[in-house]
Amino acid sequence: MHLSDRVTGLFLAVLGALAFWGGSRLPAVPGQDVGPAVFPMVVGGGLVLCGVLIAIGIGRSFEEAEVEPVEAHEGLARHLGDRRALAAFVPPALLLFYALASETLGFLPTAFVMVLLAALSLGASLRLAVIMAVGAPPLVHLVFYKLLRVPLPAGLLPAPW
Amino acid sequence: MTAFLEAIRLVAAPDVLIAIMASAVYGLVVGSLPGLSATMATALLVPVTFYLSPIAAIATIITASAMAIFSGDIPGALMRIPGTPASAAYTDEAYAMTRKGQAELALGAGLWFSAIGGIVGTLSLILMAPMLAEMALSFSTFEYFWLAFLGLMCATLVARSSPIKAIAAMLLGLLFACVGIENPGGVPRFTFGVTDLLGGIEPIPALVGVFAVSEVMRAMMTPEPPPLPRRRFGSILAGQWALTKKYQWPMWRGNIVGIIIGVLPGAGADMAAWVSYATAKRFSKEPEKFGTGHPEGLVEAGASNNASLASGWVPSLLFGIPGDTITAIAIGVLYMKGLNPGPTLFTERASSMYALYIIFVLANIIMIPLGILMIRMASLVLRAPRSAVMPVIMLLCAVGAFATGNNLFSVMLVGLFGIIGFVMERNGYPVAALVLGIVMGTMVEQNFVTSLIKSDGDVLPFFERPVSSVLAAMTIAALLWPAAVWTLRRLRRAEPAR
Repeated sequence: MHLSDRVTGLFLAVLGALAFWGGSRLPAVPGQDVGPAVFPMVVGGGLVLCGVLIAIGIGRSFEEAEVEPVEAHEGLARHLGDRRALAAFVPPALLLFYALASETLGFLPTAFVMVLLAALSLGASLRLAVIMAVGAPPLVHLVFYKLLRVPLPAGLLPAPW
Repeated sequence: MTAFLEAIRLVAAPDVLIAIMASAVYGLVVGSLPGLSATMATALLVPVTFYLSPIAAIATIITASAMAIFSGDIPGALMRIPGTPASAAYTDEAYAMTRKGQAELALGAGLWFSAIGGIVGTLSLILMAPMLAEMALSFSTFEYFWLAFLGLMCATLVARSSPIKAIAAMLLGLLFACVGIENPGGVPRFTFGVTDLLGGIEPIPALVGVFAVSEVMRAMMTPEPPPLPRRRFGSILAGQWALTKKYQWPMWRGNIVGIIIGVLPGAGADMAAWVSYATAKRFSKEPEKFGTGHPEGLVEAGASNNASLASGWVPSLLFGIPGDTITAIAIGVLYMKGLNPGPTLFTERASSMYALYIIFVLANIIMIPLGILMIRMASLVLRAPRSAVMPVIMLLCAVGAFATGNNLFSVMLVGLFGIIGFVMERNGYPVAALVLGIVMGTMVEQNFVTSLIKSDGDVLPFFERPVSSVLAAMTIAALLWPAAVWTLRRLRRAEPAR
């Protein structure tokens, strides 16, 4: 996910401009000059300025040279080869899965899938991945559900406690 | 005196003592695992603190962060991989000592001087906070605005990256803080019709995402660090007293620099360690030995980063302005537990404040025996394969985020902020500045808008009061500092060319 400064700078500038525009359209407080619009407009303006400066490369001399590791990769990153940056998006995808599935599937099955897939993509052996996926979720459930009383969903497989 | 006795009673409660011990072990383990920082350890603790008594909640945060900052030295010294960013400044030095066969001395110095730094930092907190509280009582929104802004600017200086990118990251954080109906008009702002966004973006999911999820993401693409070779350690504390006597000055300088950096809003343990390592080298009688396994820098920087941890609580407790990312989390916990930061905290909740001091001292004392145990068990803990640890961390992120509000939207937020943190870090945007922006956004806006309303839209009153003019000058200096450095560098480069 290494993007050029031009891309990130322009993205920030556009975001800032949108914030400025969006802020300026907010309704004012009656009888008051200063309302909810001021702060997003100031921040948006600042972002536009910074974004443009970044895009034209000012301040780059302060950055340290990036060292891209080229060593051997494990797990999913190795299978993906040149597209190994995609492997990094496995954790957010699994979190999304948790958000969508945990209500119906229940905590234990959802957590089993998450830990199993994450461990395998990190290059764990199947044995280790299964041990972790079977062992860790009940422990987490015990601590959060029993001790901290977080209402984790029971779903298909309720915990025995 | 009654307040002090009450404080002892508060700390001696069984739930507090258990919380201290459990979070100490947790902090030591998490801090020692490379890639898992002290900030992340603290962020993952927050959902747990929801369910603890106020004092126990604060105790877990203090203990876990202090332990994690020390514990980061362990993989630094043994594997040349800093466990936390605060240890990065002297990792090479500590590893060079290990290669010379002085692993015990290097680790012992990390432990011993961390504990001393922590205790001296606590003393500074005890002395400084009440004095500043008197002053803070006379602060108006102008001063608070400048203080908060100064904190944000300091956060951008800390990052060793392009200052413009740091400022952009900070502004991005402020923009995130704009979301929701908590604004001067009480209108839904940037919510795009999503009900879950009406309450704004909570700092905790953002913190967990940026510091923990993005770390798991990074682990997906980087190779696993090499396993730690098994080794037997000799006495850890032998020789530390000799070091203390020999390097008394560097130690005190480290303590004091750490305290000053900690008190500055926005700058924390990482910066303290870098600055102290540099001053140790600058003022040393034998600077040529630095980098070859010389304990002097270790003494100064090790004391410094732990001292800054304690003094970082000064602006947090007094003004609600975080001294670093760890106290940024702590402030959230303080509010949640009804200990709202402010100068009156020291008069109205004196016993709670004393309890906080006692916990700090206690944490730094038990750090020594527990730290020795941790060093001896390090080869066992560091042997845990990353592919087993990281999935559990990810699961804890999900459950922790869910626990903050019992809604699944925060779990999605955590994932989203993981991506944001990951992409930002890869492209040289410091995430700490983003986080401080998110945490302080509401406060900055409130004081900015209130001040503007008071001054009728005029900017001049921002500079008229004496304290606010000093703070304004400091803020503007922090803003212009990178430009000055850049010009100096250009001039210096131009000279040899002549």
